[in-house]
Formats: sequence, C-alpha cells, structure tokens
Amino acid sequence: MTVELTNYVMLSAVMFFIGVVGVIVRRNPLIVLMAIELMFNAANLALVAFSRAWVNNAGHIFVFLVVTVAAAEAAIGLAIVVAVFRRAKNVDLDEVAGMHG
Amino acid sequence: MNALLLALWLLPLAGALIMWALGPQLKRGAGPLGAAIVFASLACAAFLFPNASNSTGVSETLITWIPGYTFGLRLDALSLLWTLIITGVGGLIHVYSIGYMWSDRAMARFFAYLNFFVFAMLTLVLSDNVVGLLVGWGLVGLASYFLIGFWFYKPTAVAAARKAFVINVVGDVGIMFAIFALFAFTGSISYVDIFAKAGTLPVGVLIAICMGLFIGAAAKSAQVPLHTWLPDAMEGPTPVSALIHAATMVTAGVYLIARFAPLYNLSPTAQEIVALIGGITMLTGAVLGVAQWDIKRILAYSTMSQIGYMIMGVGVGAYQAGVLHFFTHAFFKAQLFLGAGIIIHALNDEQDVRKMGGLYRRMPFAFWAMLLGTLAIIGFPFFSGSYSKDAVIYGTLEHGHGLLYLAGVLTAGITAFYMFRMIFVVFFGPDRSEVPDDALAIPPAPHAAHAEDHDASHAPAWLMNVPVAILMVPTVAAGWLSIGGNASPWYQYFGTMFGTSENVAAPPLPIPELASQFIVYAIVTVGVIIAYLRYGTPEALRDSVARLRAEGLRMPVALRRAFWFDDVIALAIVRPAQALGSFIGRVIDPHVIDAGVRDVAWFAGALGFFARALQNGLVRTYALTLAIGAACFIAYFAVMGAPR
Repeated sequence: MTVELTNYVMLSAVMFFIGVVGVIVRRNPLIVLMAIELMFNAANLALVAFSRAWVNNAGHIFVFLVVTVAAAEAAIGLAIVVAVFRRAKNVDLDEVAGMHG
Repeated sequence: MNALLLALWLLPLAGALIMWALGPQLKRGAGPLGAAIVFASLACAAFLFPNASNSTGVSETLITWIPGYTFGLRLDALSLLWTLIITGVGGLIHVYSIGYMWSDRAMARFFAYLNFFVFAMLTLVLSDNVVGLLVGWGLVGLASYFLIGFWFYKPTAVAAARKAFVINVVGDVGIMFAIFALFAFTGSISYVDIFAKAGTLPVGVLIAICMGLFIGAAAKSAQVPLHTWLPDAMEGPTPVSALIHAATMVTAGVYLIARFAPLYNLSPTAQEIVALIGGITMLTGAVLGVAQWDIKRILAYSTMSQIGYMIMGVGVGAYQAGVLHFFTHAFFKAQLFLGAGIIIHALNDEQDVRKMGGLYRRMPFAFWAMLLGTLAIIGFPFFSGSYSKDAVIYGTLEHGHGLLYLAGVLTAGITAFYMFRMIFVVFFGPDRSEVPDDALAIPPAPHAAHAEDHDASHAPAWLMNVPVAILMVPTVAAGWLSIGGNASPWYQYFGTMFGTSENVAAPPLPIPELASQFIVYAIVTVGVIIAYLRYGTPEALRDSVARLRAEGLRMPVALRRAFWFDDVIALAIVRPAQALGSFIGRVIDPHVIDAGVRDVAWFAGALGFFARALQNGLVRTYALTLAIGAACFIAYFAVMGAPR
C-alpha cells in the first residue's frame, strides 16, 4: 500500500480544519497560537506533498521559509500575549475586546 | 502691435490696480495719479485721432480664444468720439474729484473705482466684437455699483447701488440673448462679419436681436420702464453722478444703437419701437423733473429726458443728430452736475433746493456755471444744446414721425421750465437755509452725513473751479461743429458710417429746418417765461417760502410717486419674487433640499449602525469571518472550476 498524494492532501485539510476550529472556539490565546501553528504545518504538509509528487524542490524550500516565519510569528505572538496580560491581568480573548466598534 | 491703442485701453486698469493695492500709502496722492492716468489715455486717443477718425479706424487683434474667434480692439469714428468724451470729460471730473473728495478718508478707493470705470467704459466702446462689448457692459455696471454705494454706511446708498445693479443686469441678459441669436444666425461675433451678413437675417430674428440689444440699451440708459434706478443713483458722490450717471455710462445705450445701425437700418419695426420708447422717456423725464426738490434729482430726471432725445434720434435713424446730442450733453450735463456739486459741497451736503435760495451773491461762479449749463440744455440759441436738440427734433420730422416731433418740441418747453425753476429757486430770493423744515413742507428725507469719514481740512477751491471753467467752453461751443448741415465738420466726420435706413422714402417736409428751430425757440421762451412768472418775479421771490410750501402740499400724487413706476415694479416683480423666495425658504428649502440632505445622512448612519455590529472587538469572531470568507472562496471555485 502506497501513500497517495490524495492522502497527504486529505490529512493536510483535516489538520487545517482542526486549526481553524481551534482558533475559533478556544478562548485561551496560547491554545489559539498552537492552533495557528497547526494550520501552518497543514500548509507545510501540502507543500511538501505537492513538491514530491511533481518532483520540484521549490516546495521544500518554501517550507523552510514558512517554518522560519512561523517561529518568528510565535515569538511575537507570545510577546503580545504577555503584554496583554500585563495590561488587562487577564488572557481570556473574549474579555480583551477593547477594539469593538 | 499698436502700442498707443493698447496703452489707451490698459492705462486706467493699471491705475485702478495700483490704487487698489497701494491705497493706504498713496492717500491723497491717488487723486493726481488717477487724473494723470486718464489724461494720458486722452493723449493716446488724441495721437490716434488722424488714423482713427473714419469708418474703418484702427484695429488690433489681441487674443484668439477659439480659432476663428478673436478678441480685439477697434477704434473708429464712433468709438473714438466716446473715447475722447470718456477720457476728456472723465479727466476733468477726476481733477474736480480731488477737491470734492478731499476730506474723505477713502480717497484712494474712490479713484481706484473711477479709473476702473474708465477702463470698463473703454472696454465697452473699444471692443471689436459683441462678446467684448458685453464684458465691458457688465464691468461698467459693476463700476457703477461700486460708486453709487461708495458711502456704504448709508443704507439708502447701498439700496440704490443694488437697485442699479439689478436693473442693469436685466439689460445684460437682453444683450446676451441678442448675442446668442447673432451667433446662431451669422456664426460670428465680430462686428465686421455680423454687419456683412446682416442682410441675410430673417426679419423676425432681426427684430428679436434689435429688441434684445434695446433692452440692454434701455436698462443702461434709463429708458422707461427701466429708468427707476437713475434718480436713486444720485446717492453716489456728485462727481460720480456727473461722470457716470450723466456724461458717459448712461449714454452707452446710444452708442449701442449707433454701433448696430446696420442692423437697425434693416428693421423699421425695431426702429419704431426704439424711437417710441425714447420719446416716452423724454417726456416722462421732463415731467418728473418739474416735481423734484432735490437738486441732483432734478438733474437726474433731466438726464433721463435728454437721453430720451438721444435714443429717439438714433431710433428714427438720425444717427448723427442723436450722437451729436450725446456729445454736447456730455459737456453741459457734466457742467451742471459739477456746478451743483460746488453748491452741495459749500452747503455741507444740503441738496434740497427749498433750503437754498439767494446763492447768486454767495457763489457767483457756481451761478454762472449753472446758468451756462442751463442755457445749453434748454437749447438757447447758439449754445451747444440748441444745435444738437434741434437736429434731433428735426430729425424725427425728416424720418416721418410727426407725433414724436410734437413731443420733442413740448419736452423742450418743459425742460426750459424746470431748469429755470431750479435756477430761480436756488440762486435768487431769500436764503432759506435757516427756515425750519415744516415751514417748507419738506417730507423727511434725511441726509445721513458722512461725518465719520471726514477730516477738517479743505481743498484749494481751484481744484473744483478749474474743471468747471474748462467745461464752460464746450458747453457753449461744442455745437458749433455742426453748423452748416451736411457740409459741417460733424457730418463730415461720420461720413456714411451709419448708412441709411430702409424707410428712406420720407414724406415731404411740412416745414423747413429754420422754421422748426424758431418753433422750438418760441416754446423754450414760453417755458422760461412761465418759470419766471412762477418763481422769478420779485413778489414770487419775496414769499418764496410760502409758495414752495404750497407747491409741496399741492403736488399731484402722480408726480410725487413718479408715476408709480417704482410701485408697479414692486407690485409686479419685486413682491412676487420676494414671495417666491420666502416660499422656497420656508417650504422647499427645509422640506425638500434639507430633507434630501438629512435622508442621505440618516442612511449613512443606519449603514454604520449595522457595520458597527461587525466590529465587536472579539478576535474569535474575526477569525470566524475569515474562515467563512475562505469557505466561500473554496465553495466558489469548487462549483465554478479553477480560474483560468
């Protein structure tokens, strides 16, 4: 039994969906950040899968880029979470709604 | 590039701009500067005289606004005559104004306006096309508005300025439609092209164009029923009345009709109407002149009456005669107004003749100036006015208008009466300056003294006397140019410029010109004698207070209300317009226009109310929105297939 491209893409889609749902339903910003990481990695998985299927290394290179950016993004995201906590003494996303119109 | 012609036209504009910009620095220097500039323009015109005094003259194309349509200047015999009067008489009045406005702090503003007026008037007469003419026409109205309302702290002056401006705009609109029609039917705006194609115009269009032009002429030249602004315009300073509302601007209508002679010659109907309105104005002005006590209003109504003569003259096709009357009138009416200005100035702005009296001894110079002007205006033999007025009156007969002839003769008699009434009441009898108002039955006509803008110093007397003295020469002699009929310098000057009217088949003349002159002289003598009997005899002078009081009390209401022209216009036009305005203000504006604006604002607010709900500040909602958006994209491409 070989692993088809379709299986990779399906897995990628499922991971992405889990990530989306995580972002939408969870109120803890740390979990939300983790869910965002999950979506990144779903995209990465799709990229390497397509790259391998079409024998083209551009996808691999792109994944490295995404991983780097994701690391930076996580650092900034955590910094923001810390800053918000210091300010509001609270990290519940529904309580931090100061931007409402 | 004809530098002289350009300088003639632009010097007064430069003067106006300099005085507007540097007024506070120039102070009284503005007066001599303004006068010098106008005399420089006069010198340019004089240098151009040999080349320009014929029917083609000097012309100069300045700019091309659309290819084929150019704006240029044209100085021919007709515009040269107006230019010489505007700059010549205008220059003298500038000198006079230095004395008259000496103690007014806004002297630079006054001279800026005067120079601007000269520029506007030169634009009007020098333009070689109808559009330039209309521009000049409008600018002249604006200058007149500025100068009537010069003492802007007097509510009456402001109202008079507004009235003059609005009525003049009525005329502008008439000319504008005439220009539209001319352009539509000849495809050109230049005089030369229009007159070349005049013969091809349909009769109805020709009459419409002539009437449009005449509405403009009537508004500017105070012809019935658009004359009501002229007496009110006397609210302006007296030199302004002399320059604008007697010598130059109000005769622009005469220029207009003389300029468009090739069109009027083709349309006897239009000529009839113009001549008739001129005749009516002539008689109306004279009759109303009898009923005035304000010295400037007497002169204003006499101006209206004399312009009636001019319009009647050019209307019947006696162009040389009508223009000659403009020429002589410019001198003697400027003379009369400037003489009246000397009196008003000396009496601290008293203008009511009933409060004057006995001024002959106090101001002999003013008396002689006024007397010469009066003799000229009534057409006393050998004075300038007699030649021009006789020519106009006889011209009506030559072109077959017997009724207008009779009206002209009658008006000459009335003119003699009211002018000598003024002379007797102002210069003879007892001094009535101390007589209380109610003893003279003077209706309250307060002169809001412009004391706040005065300082105490007085101008040297010669500043006001010299221009009047110079004007005495043409006041007496200007008419001599026309001695000798068609061989005279006057008729030679114009040559065949105006062409001849279509209705050349004039009837045989019932009386020769000399006989007509003697008829006029006889009627004038009768007028003078009646004036003498009523106002000039020793008994009349002795109890002049009682007689003037009786005259005031017995004055027919028709004359006191100036034949109700103002009332009818107020009832027929002003009140409905005001009612319409207040209706729009109270109904249309709040309930239609404002309502529209309110609804737009309300809609934007409602939209914002809903849009605001989306911005709830919850990060998770935004994420959901993003996800839904992405899902929509995916669904779209899943259904429609991949983008190509």
